[in-house]
Amino acid sequence: MLKATLRSFLAHKGRLLLSALAVVLSVAFVAGSLIFSDTLGRTFDRLFASTAADVTVRPQEGLAEAVPSGTTATLPAALAGRVADVEGVAAAHVDAEVENLTVVDDENESVSPTTGAPTIGTNWYPTERSPVELTSGHAPRGPGQALLDSETADRADVRIGDTLTVVAPPGSFRVEVVGIVTFTTTNPGAALLFVDTPTAQTKLLGDAKAATGISVEAADGVSDELLKRRVADALGPDAYEYRTAAEQAESDVEQLGGFLDVIKYVMLGFAGVAVLVGVFLIVNTFSMLIAQRTRELGLLRALGADRRQVRRSVLTEALLLGVAGSTLGLAAGIALAAGLIGLMNAIGMNISSAEMVIGWATPVAAYVVGIGVTFVAAYLPARRAAAVSPMAALADAEIAGVGRPLRTRAVVGGVVGAAGVAALAGCAAATETGSAASLLGLGVLLTLVATVIAGPLLVRPVIRVLGAAFPALFGPVGRMSQRNALRNPRRTGATAAALMVGLALVGGMSVASASMTESFDRQIDKTLGADFIVQNGGFMPFPREVTDRVRETPGAGLVVRSRFAPVAVRLPDGDRVETSAVGYDPRLDEVADIRYAQGDTAAALAAGHLAMDADFAREHGVRLGGTVPVEFQGGRTAELTVGALTDMESAEGFGTQGGLFLGLGTLQRYAPGGQDSALYVNAAPGTADDELRADLERTLDPYPQVQVRDIADYKKLVHDQIAVLLYLVYALLGLAIVIAVLGVVNTLALSVVERTREIGLLRAIGLSRRQLRRMIRLESVVIAVFGAVLGLALGLVWGVCMQQVLALQGMTALAVPWGTVVAVVVGAAVVGVVAALLPALRASRMNVLAAVAHE
Amino acid sequence: MSTPAAEHAPGLASADRTAARARGLTKAYGSGETTVLALDSVDVDIMRGRFTAVMGPSGSGKSTLMHCLAGLDTVSAGQVWLGDTEITGLRERELTRLRRDRIGFMFQSFNLIPTLNALENITLPMNIAGRDPDRTWLDQVVDTLGLRDRLKHRPAQLSGGQQQRVACARALVSRPELIFADEPTGNLDSRAGLEVLGFLREAVDELGQTVVMVTHDPGAAAHSDLVLFLADGRIVDEMHRPTAEAVLERMRLFTGAGSRLPGSPAED
Repeated sequence: MLKATLRSFLAHKGRLLLSALAVVLSVAFVAGSLIFSDTLGRTFDRLFASTAADVTVRPQEGLAEAVPSGTTATLPAALAGRVADVEGVAAAHVDAEVENLTVVDDENESVSPTTGAPTIGTNWYPTERSPVELTSGHAPRGPGQALLDSETADRADVRIGDTLTVVAPPGSFRVEVVGIVTFTTTNPGAALLFVDTPTAQTKLLGDAKAATGISVEAADGVSDELLKRRVADALGPDAYEYRTAAEQAESDVEQLGGFLDVIKYVMLGFAGVAVLVGVFLIVNTFSMLIAQRTRELGLLRALGADRRQVRRSVLTEALLLGVAGSTLGLAAGIALAAGLIGLMNAIGMNISSAEMVIGWATPVAAYVVGIGVTFVAAYLPARRAAAVSPMAALADAEIAGVGRPLRTRAVVGGVVGAAGVAALAGCAAATETGSAASLLGLGVLLTLVATVIAGPLLVRPVIRVLGAAFPALFGPVGRMSQRNALRNPRRTGATAAALMVGLALVGGMSVASASMTESFDRQIDKTLGADFIVQNGGFMPFPREVTDRVRETPGAGLVVRSRFAPVAVRLPDGDRVETSAVGYDPRLDEVADIRYAQGDTAAALAAGHLAMDADFAREHGVRLGGTVPVEFQGGRTAELTVGALTDMESAEGFGTQGGLFLGLGTLQRYAPGGQDSALYVNAAPGTADDELRADLERTLDPYPQVQVRDIADYKKLVHDQIAVLLYLVYALLGLAIVIAVLGVVNTLALSVVERTREIGLLRAIGLSRRQLRRMIRLESVVIAVFGAVLGLALGLVWGVCMQQVLALQGMTALAVPWGTVVAVVVGAAVVGVVAALLPALRASRMNVLAAVAHE
Repeated sequence: MSTPAAEHAPGLASADRTAARARGLTKAYGSGETTVLALDSVDVDIMRGRFTAVMGPSGSGKSTLMHCLAGLDTVSAGQVWLGDTEITGLRERELTRLRRDRIGFMFQSFNLIPTLNALENITLPMNIAGRDPDRTWLDQVVDTLGLRDRLKHRPAQLSGGQQQRVACARALVSRPELIFADEPTGNLDSRAGLEVLGFLREAVDELGQTVVMVTHDPGAAAHSDLVLFLADGRIVDEMHRPTAEAVLERMRLFTGAGSRLPGSPAED
């Protein structure tokens, strides 16, 4: 029996090719993502472990910054002296480091990485732990000298002797590049600028007596743990944060871990889609192979093979396919990881592919996924094979699977579908984001499963409608292609399901993102009244100097600043909420239109007052005129009076829970040192907008990180942010489509083989090659469009429900991107045409005689 | 290597009386030492308005002869004409058009497209050509073959005999110059087979069609006007106004003491 199985596997290897490809893709993504994240993890572990000081002293971690405020926490530099006196300390260095600098060359071009990685300014002191070494020039001395890392220097074409402008929080200053440093370890992608310690303190931190931390070197024989305890005892255990090298490295990795996790999850998302879509392909292939081999299986049964042997034979074939696919997939995964590492290098991270880490988990996962998927996918077809009766060998049977009733599918699909619809209805009716989101997830899953199960039932009605015009448009060729698609609803349904899954995701996500965009647009139109907004494209804060220059710009009238600060409010109901509050200048009303439930802008921005969202206030028992204790960064607290309650859509979004805002004066009093996040600028009376814009642009020339935008530009910026999410979805879609195309190709190719005689007959009675190709192409198009229509219908329903969840977050507008919908349907037709290329060619090359010849 | 095949000597047949003819028609499979000659320099004339049967044992080349005459297969050497058109040397596209417009086919089995109903199958060649069938002719054909109440049925809903009648109607409806029938009764019981042969006879006698039928059944061959006997790729004999007994007798001579049963299923 095993020999028969092997023979059969080898005989059908061509037909299993595309299934194997689906397995390879799934496994490649799983293996690739594991290898990539393992490699990255190992690289950074090593980097941070080698660069962390024995013991690090840092300011206590305060409130989490949901929105960047532009402040840098410091401690007194004099601590270094006290630390140096601790027994067992070999040396104590002052660290003065600022992230998110902007460094500009002579032509006002930023030399910072274009990838969004930070530009870090820090004080230069050579130690063994430094991630860089000075490879040319000399160490910086005095306020006008700096070192730059070689990668940034190469990219921005900066040489020793060039002058750069450093835009630091306290103000801009010019430096001459006196040396180039080269990374001795992996560069995580950031740009590094070194100045001497006094310059770092005064010009970067704005305080000659401040430091961002103290790095402590242990004397020989003193363990990090012991030293940490001694330093903590000397400075006071609760006054600062103390970390050993190991702890510091771990915390650094953790910080980066978020980014690594994102990559890992994205990759696993790809793997998931590949697996899901691949399953359809494999199920379909095995079903078709078994249908074609009905007589052969019948013969085996007639010759005495029992059901179990037949089933085992099919599953063994699946196992072979799984093993072969997994092995190739593992290899492809290694290539994929190498490609990703190359990509990381291209965007400025230096990781050597030679250091690729392939943990034991990777091959295990690869084989589990590959073999598991094929096994699961082949199980039902295998059972069906086992059910073939010995009589099938004798009967001149039509292809199996055509006539079997779809009643079970109707019932199961109906029940699951009803449950899914109920969950989605529940989601739409829910009032709490948490429960709505989980109902949404459940509903999405159930409706997807229901559509996959019931898909074959929908084939007839939907394709009757879709292909109704075919006979009129394409004559008998159109009629035959429509009927061919209807011929085996199960097969058509399963083939289209692969495409459906991808397109449903896209449909849902595009409705959600279009709705988000529309909501933001409406809200911007409703609330924003400023002529121009000056801000960083990445919503990062910018130095005060920028604000001053904008104010001085001729023609600039009112300038309203907005500044974020992390706060913690203790509410009357006992909850402590950490969030970000915004500080505004007075005359906010002239640049924004804020709707109040109670109170007004004057009361909200008055000294010692704050405003919050009315719903949030009600929920937590806050009343107008009451006071709430507010905790600011650095430990300052204040009792602020609630001056106004706002009634705004989406007051709480992007980390600004509660919609807290207050006068900038009040904010500055309790949280000094922050940077502005946006400036709302109105033209002075008599100044044309165009004129002001040109002047502002000239003013902002030395600050390439900050741009001036009018309302339309601002909307576009917001759209671009949302679009990033969509790109990811489109990438997922791309993968799903690739596999779906494989599925369509697979189905058509096997159908063509199955219909050899029919095709021969058609050719004999005068169907031209071109007409034959068109027939197959149209069948392919109708299958693909069927999948697209089903997927989009499902996706639109999901999208509407997703929008209901977003509405709870204040994004109330519902927008359906009909343009995208139409484009997807057209795209599906193109996919159909592409998928039909090879099968059609093959069919048209078929020898007429071989096709009409008797069996 | 000329073989007396038809009524007239080779080369003398006038084009208006022959529906198809072949000269020096040779078909070889394989190459070098293993070359097998399926047709060995065959000369043949198919007369218009006649019912010609091609008989021969398995492997005699009778199906190959039909395939070459019908433009389904390429020839190794020689020439084939359909009417005045030399079809050897025609390109694939022209051959397709020729088959579509000027030739009708009936095969032993699998004659019909399963997704199309009987009427759609009958009109398929004309539809492919983008022509409308002649309604009166279509009606006459359908009624002659007794298919009136079966037109909306799919092939799977028809009996074997009915399916062959539909195939026959399809072959007739475009009024082709020549109808090739490849073992049209091979899969039918004797009654249904007789019915189909009757229709082919009627097509020739009443409708003035030309039919070439490949068969291994002497009973079927007896319905024809002329039987051509093939053996080892050559036409070895012919018989006018055949009877089943005479054909069977002649076949015995060629197959040599029954070493091979006429028409064993391993044909082709």
